[in-house]
Amino acid sequence: MADARTELVQGTLEMLVLKTLALEPMHGWGIAQRIELMSNRVFMVTQGSLYPALVRMRRRGWITSSWRVTENNRRARYYALTAAGERQLDAERAAWRRASGAVNGILSARLAPGAT
Amino acid sequence: MSIFSDLGARLASIVWRRREEREMEEELRFHMDMEAEQARRAGASPDAARRRGMIALGGVERTKEEVRDARGTRVLDDTMRDVAFSVRTLLRAPAVALVVIVTLALGIGGTTAIFSTVDATLVKPLPYQEPGQLVRLYEGSPGEANPHGFVSPTMFLAYRERLSSFEHLAAGYTYDDRGADIGADGRPERIHVLSITAGYFATLRRPPAMGREFEPNEENGAPSVILSHQLWVDRFHASPTALGAELVMDGRPYTVVGIMPGAFVDPLRPGADAYTPLDMTPGLDPSNIDNHYLTVIGRLRPETPLPRAQAELDAVLVSLGREYADARRTAARLYSLKEDMVGPASRALELVLGAVGLVLLLVCVNVATLLLVRASARAHEFALRAALGARRSRLLRQMLVESLVLALAGDALGLVVARAAMSGIVRLGAGSVPRLSALSLDPTLLLFSVAITTASAVLFGLTPALRAVRTDPIDALRGEDRALAGSRGHNRVRSALVTAQVALAFVLMVGAGLLLVSFHRLRSLDLGVDTDHALVFELHLPDARYDSTARAAFYEDIASRIAHLPGVRAAGGVSKLPATGEYHEWGTVPVTGPNVGRTHANVGAQQRIVSGDYFRAAGIPVLEGRAFDARDAAGTPKRAIVSTLAAEKLFPGVDPIGQRLRTGGFEWEVIGVVPDVSVNAEGDREPTIYHAHAQFAGDRNWAITQIVSTSGPPQRLIPLIQRTIAERDPQLVMYRPMSLADAIGAGTAQRKFTLVILVCFAAVAVLLAALGLFGALAYAVKLRSREFGVRMAIGAERGTIRRLVLRQGLVVTVAGIGIGLVGFAAFARVMSSLVFRVRPLDPSVLIGAAAIILVVGAFAAYLPARRATAVDPRTILQ
Repeated sequence: MADARTELVQGTLEMLVLKTLALEPMHGWGIAQRIELMSNRVFMVTQGSLYPALVRMRRRGWITSSWRVTENNRRARYYALTAAGERQLDAERAAWRRASGAVNGILSARLAPGAT
Repeated sequence: MSIFSDLGARLASIVWRRREEREMEEELRFHMDMEAEQARRAGASPDAARRRGMIALGGVERTKEEVRDARGTRVLDDTMRDVAFSVRTLLRAPAVALVVIVTLALGIGGTTAIFSTVDATLVKPLPYQEPGQLVRLYEGSPGEANPHGFVSPTMFLAYRERLSSFEHLAAGYTYDDRGADIGADGRPERIHVLSITAGYFATLRRPPAMGREFEPNEENGAPSVILSHQLWVDRFHASPTALGAELVMDGRPYTVVGIMPGAFVDPLRPGADAYTPLDMTPGLDPSNIDNHYLTVIGRLRPETPLPRAQAELDAVLVSLGREYADARRTAARLYSLKEDMVGPASRALELVLGAVGLVLLLVCVNVATLLLVRASARAHEFALRAALGARRSRLLRQMLVESLVLALAGDALGLVVARAAMSGIVRLGAGSVPRLSALSLDPTLLLFSVAITTASAVLFGLTPALRAVRTDPIDALRGEDRALAGSRGHNRVRSALVTAQVALAFVLMVGAGLLLVSFHRLRSLDLGVDTDHALVFELHLPDARYDSTARAAFYEDIASRIAHLPGVRAAGGVSKLPATGEYHEWGTVPVTGPNVGRTHANVGAQQRIVSGDYFRAAGIPVLEGRAFDARDAAGTPKRAIVSTLAAEKLFPGVDPIGQRLRTGGFEWEVIGVVPDVSVNAEGDREPTIYHAHAQFAGDRNWAITQIVSTSGPPQRLIPLIQRTIAERDPQLVMYRPMSLADAIGAGTAQRKFTLVILVCFAAVAVLLAALGLFGALAYAVKLRSREFGVRMAIGAERGTIRRLVLRQGLVVTVAGIGIGLVGFAAFARVMSSLVFRVRPLDPSVLIGAAAIILVVGAFAAYLPARRATAVDPRTILQ
């Protein structure tokens, strides 16, 4: 496969999962698919990073899980956002905006005349 | 929330681990199926689909591991595996593990129980406000090192009037242990009464809960009574109308003026049921200056330290000595009440505290050496595991877990031992040791001993593991024990450990030996009376029905009735049993003989009032003259029998028979001489004068303790004697019947308590020391088994090697004994107040202890040496 795909920036996976689940409850594979789609296939989510992340987030109380039947009649574990998860998403989103703004600022900076 | 939900999720993961695993499998399979489905739909070739599946599969196991990690249960999982593994390992070689656990349990249990006893009886304050201000006052002769005599009423009144250092000074009647009968109708009930002066409760700052305490104007035997809470509940059903009501004691009505609070414990007589005003009128009569019968307590003013109060007391005594020139005891000493209450036990308990420290130290050293033994035995296992790639942290963690498993097992067993020891101590000291009822395991102390021993177990459990992981596994696998035995420095540390162990063991063993000898001497002491075949009991004759004539007749009559019972050799009575303490010490002066008119002719003599055939009943032979008999009745001239010591002091160099003496306000003719008997359980003798009850019954209602000499076991006669008494007077109670040995034992119960505790404790310490010594020397020999193999292989005789090992073991042991001896000599002075009729550096005890330690040391060195040399050298060298 042609790989313009990149690994996720460290620490952003959880934020993206939260965002995905904020749209609707979803199973693991669906979350991975949706992130790939929403990022126009720029980001690749491997199961090796997704499932441990889901366990960690569940431990922190951001998401809950329950077994449900998919439209294809298969049992799958669906994850849903909790209130704490929503708050976490807001917090991460704000932090991300600050950080990305700062990074963009640095990247678009030019050397001011007279500066050494 | 997060911490708890996190912890909850982790715990749930452990509990539901199987389910979690199953669900994880299913979830991942679903993921892979969806992945494959997508690939197929995208039209991937079967090959590519398979390859992708393989990659995915490879990833699955890693993902599973990572998911497991993410659950946060990995450390716990591993730990549980370690614990299970440790238990299996410990069970495979249970001997060392068992010894470590027993060492910890005995150490922790023993020390905590002893610590708590010390804490409850010595360290905890008295249950009164500002207990530091409370003192006890004793009188004595000038120049006496440790005066512990009671106070005369004349002196007490003078102190109370003249001393300004005291907020309050109060007295109780020392000899009030006969009690009183309450209830006029039917069978009387016996209660304990204490007579006290005004200000007694103010001194203790514990006023009655209702009513008031006695006023100075009641100090003339006024018929007032203060009830204990218990008596108020029992007799008056806790009714407030009890105040002002009447209580009949010994047929005489008393008015209730106060009721004590329920939590009050009397410092002088913990079981007191009622208080009556102490009659202080005898104190106005200067002739009572030498009648010592008061127990005096006081509360110092807050600004007055004890030494200043003592200085004022000394000054007052100088002028009192001038005013009463013939007084014999013109010195007095103040002691802190707390020190006085725990009394002789306090020194012993301090000593116990020191011994507790030594034993804890010994436990730590023992555990250390035992764990070193274990580690050396397992060096190969560790080297092998390190060589096979086990991580150091993993090995260390496993050793840590093993040490903890050992330590926790020891701690748990220690708790059990401590609880058992505590209930044993309480049972042993019940009734004889003040404030023991408040005894409970002290959590702080328990934590302390558990912490210190656990820490040492963990520390010394890890040390060998640390050394093992630092050692090149190749060396260890080759059997280079040197690598594990460590450098010369390590050897020196180990030798020091063993020497310290021997020294500690020696000190503890000498201490135990001295106590055992003391105990034995105390037990086998000749008290001058026959304690084994005598039954004693009290009979109280109520004043209302018995006047002095009736009392005199009764005691003679009941003695002769009992004497005629089968199995009885003789029966009589006495005002204070031998060997149960000083009582009624009166100034006695000779009226005839060489000492008449001389200064210091006045002898402080113990006075005893006897009835019936007392001397035969108590097993005291009459040396000269005769015993009292029917000729010595109320109307006849007063006659006395003197003890050998009294005869020597009053009538030196002459025949005492027929001499005359003056005491108690009367003149007496000496008609007999008897040997001295011990006045206390320590074998001390005092000049003693005996009077016939029949001649002295008019003086007061003497509390006469009956004593019956029996041919068989004394207890068996109790029902028969009870019937005999009932035939004479059905209303009388045979009070507290027991053997004379028990009655004397009760007087020494506190000392016995201390000794038994110390001896048990020392025995435990010695056991621990022997275990430790054995472990340490066995370890040293084990480390050298390879060297022995080499020596034997090149032709050394087994015997030579064994002797070598033995010699080296003995060198360490002797060095330890030497150091222990020096250490013991340093605190022999502390011991000297505790031991009885044995010098602290008694050679036989020292030699005995050294011999036992040497034998243990020799065995401890020889047995492993024998085992090491018994095997074929080839086996060792392979």
